[in-house]
Amino acid sequence: MTDLTAMMAGDRDVVMSCRVRLARNVSGFPFVGRATHPQRREVLETVRAAAGPDEASVGLVGGGRVGASTAESLAWVDLAALPKRDRQLLWERHLISRQFAEGDSPRAVAVTPDERFSLMVNEEDHVRIQVLRTGNMLREAFDAAVRVDATLGSRLDFAFHPKWGYLTACPTNVGCGIRIGVMVHLRALRVTNEIEKVKRAAKELHLAVRGFHGEGSEATGDWFQISNQRTLGVTETGLLEEFAGRIVPAVVAYEREARRVLLERQRTLLEDRVFRGISLLRSARLLGLDEAMKQLSSVRLGVCLGLIPDVALDTLNRLTIQLQSAHLRTGESGIESDDDERAARARVARTILGEQ
Amino acid sequence: MAAPFRPCDHCAKPAVVHNTVIVNGQMNEVHLCEDHAGAAGIQMPGQAPIHQLLGQLAQVAVTRPRGPACPECGHTFHDFKTSGLLGCPACYDAFASTVGPVIERSHGGASEHIGNVPARADDANQRAALLQQLLRELETAVSAEQYERAAQLRDRIKDLRPTTAARIDAAP
Repeated sequence: MTDLTAMMAGDRDVVMSCRVRLARNVSGFPFVGRATHPQRREVLETVRAAAGPDEASVGLVGGGRVGASTAESLAWVDLAALPKRDRQLLWERHLISRQFAEGDSPRAVAVTPDERFSLMVNEEDHVRIQVLRTGNMLREAFDAAVRVDATLGSRLDFAFHPKWGYLTACPTNVGCGIRIGVMVHLRALRVTNEIEKVKRAAKELHLAVRGFHGEGSEATGDWFQISNQRTLGVTETGLLEEFAGRIVPAVVAYEREARRVLLERQRTLLEDRVFRGISLLRSARLLGLDEAMKQLSSVRLGVCLGLIPDVALDTLNRLTIQLQSAHLRTGESGIESDDDERAARARVARTILGEQ
Repeated sequence: MAAPFRPCDHCAKPAVVHNTVIVNGQMNEVHLCEDHAGAAGIQMPGQAPIHQLLGQLAQVAVTRPRGPACPECGHTFHDFKTSGLLGCPACYDAFASTVGPVIERSHGGASEHIGNVPARADDANQRAALLQQLLRELETAVSAEQYERAAQLRDRIKDLRPTTAARIDAAP
């Protein structure tokens, strides 16, 4: 049963997830793009040794929980040795970037079992610390990222400049090297054609608005990643306050208002889209990814407005990942053609949402 | 329509290369068959050997002005313009005059880092430099009556000082 109040907590009705990412480079090495493969391997070994084998050693576990007995192991994944489909799987789960998934240079990612933390080594920068949380838990994500940074920073010499701050391969990340971002579901603002206003406002505030898969993906669907662009001349906590205190609440309020207006003025149209969406997902035999995402978006809006009480928000959030290509191809055997994949996608959607 | 037959200047075979050459202001027409053109070192259209083409391309790449290189890693400003990426930490100083303005533009005009400092900055000098810079900024903020900013700066100076002092004390 959907509990609307529980959904509003952590702004989960609008904010799918949030992310804090820190870019760091190890002093004494060229940046990744300029480094030779042996140098990249050395960076990898250096960072891996500094990060240690578990959450506690990398600094994720703070306070009284420190101790190998309670800490979970970090899974280190060697990207260069990983099959292409598995690399795509990591990308679909938002654990690595698309750029990191491709290529054959020495690089690895460390992931915690709950997948809320990942450490990419030798992406564009030597180290990319990423903390993910469901819903609007920016402060918690920020604290975790800062803890890891402090731990690694006490063991590694990070490239730093008194004027420019943390040095990064791309000067757009220089300074704090931080990206604070939220993935928001702005279905109602799309329907009411107000999304352009949001994009314009974001631009004025020096924010980037991207698609479901972040950098390089078009913001064409109903999911948007909003993140800071400025990293110089700002403080980490200042950015956090701006995001958690001003930007996210404003976006959430704006989307909720659009939902309220839709429900009040165009209820039949809204219900039509929502129920068509759930019917389609529960009965289709062939389902393309774009169509699946579009219908999931309508259904998600319906769930958030209490129109579909028997579907949980978490189920839908998981489906946005489970219906991606590599996930289907990993979970189901014998998928060879695109039609096989579309059939598998429809099967998974029907099974999880309950065929009617 | 087929081209009118024209024999080679040196034999009876049909000429396939028709060149106009000017020697000492005198214009001459040259008509050569495939064999004699080859003997004269003239390539047929579309017959340029790939190694020659690649050689020319390589030459173009070499002769294109690439600007000064970073003394640490050899990265050039041209490399930066092409990839958007710098080669190593030293590039920031090597290209300060050219990359600096680009950085400032992409960060809304900001030209100084005011965020966290790593626990292990490269050396104590960097912390000391940062401290000096923050003190200068504090002076500016106070004289401009920007009290909120001044308070932020004071906090950062307070955070920086003990470590700097400890490092200086610990230095031999």
